[in-house]
Amino acid sequence: MTRGYAARLAAVTLALAVALSTAACSGDEPPARPEPVAGGAAALPGPAPANLALRQPPSGLPGAPAVTGTLTDGSPVAFADLWAERPVVLVFFSSWCTVCAERQNALSELARTHRDKVVFVGVAVEDTTQDLQQYLREHRVEYPVVVDDDGIISQSYAVREPPGVVMIAKGGTLLRGWPGGVDAPALDGKLRELVLAS
Amino acid sequence: MRRLLAALLLPSLAAGALTACDDAEEARSAMTVRVLVRDINIRPEGVECAGTGPYTHFHNRSPFQVIDPDGRTLAEGALPSGTSVATFKEDLEVTRVPTYCEFAVPVTVADRSAYRLVVDGHPPIALTPNDSEGPALVAVVPS
Repeated sequence: MTRGYAARLAAVTLALAVALSTAACSGDEPPARPEPVAGGAAALPGPAPANLALRQPPSGLPGAPAVTGTLTDGSPVAFADLWAERPVVLVFFSSWCTVCAERQNALSELARTHRDKVVFVGVAVEDTTQDLQQYLREHRVEYPVVVDDDGIISQSYAVREPPGVVMIAKGGTLLRGWPGGVDAPALDGKLRELVLAS
Repeated sequence: MRRLLAALLLPSLAAGALTACDDAEEARSAMTVRVLVRDINIRPEGVECAGTGPYTHFHNRSPFQVIDPDGRTLAEGALPSGTSVATFKEDLEVTRVPTYCEFAVPVTVADRSAYRLVVDGHPPIALTPNDSEGPALVAVVPS
């Protein structure tokens, strides 16, 4: 084998390898989709179940502030639209709040348990986009999350610091608030006592 | 050859000696920065807290710098969570009482005539030396 022949053979082999690898990489597989933003419009619930059985809220209770906000993906949301169909639980939190983090996994699981019957809405205060997204993924928060950058929603609900939880009946009656937050078993108990009829 | 070596080594030795002098001048002391945020929020006593109202930038992971009168950074880091302390000494016989939120963070700083604290880019707060509970630089907001 001459040196020139060997060089030509090597070049052909290399070209063939490049062509094959290019073909393999540009196959029919669809390009990877970017991961959806946690807490965005995709986390909003669908229609409420037709057979949703709820308790009547006690009379004489005040109405919850019908505020509007912006979800983590920039989508607008009106709280009144959410409680028009089913009860709402507002969870005020921050990614830097250690008490919030300690309770969050159980709250995320509780939200999944009552999915469609009760809509949980996170309200993120004094946070950064990156830290917030990391927190939501780490704690498997699958419900919508409003970014309360100006603190207006927190002020409306008299939540001065995270954590805080507010329970609202279908129709907008303010049922119960927990400044300092509440753990998932206690919240579940109150949901069954005050909101869910079955 | 000896002259060449001396010419090469002397500037380095002199620079090293000067650096050592600088280090000696910049002796640093370990102390605690304590900030009492007087937000009078209703909380249980002794729980984790963050500043409220105009002081929401005081919270766990908030970036801070201790600066000298010329604005030079002497120490920096992130605040830990605050701890709630009762505003009044009286026993109000309820679990949630008016409280302040106190932050304490260890720093090591060079000796200066005065110190200020910057939290998350907000205007500097004057720190006052206080040795009543060990070496500390303290501030009360609002002062």
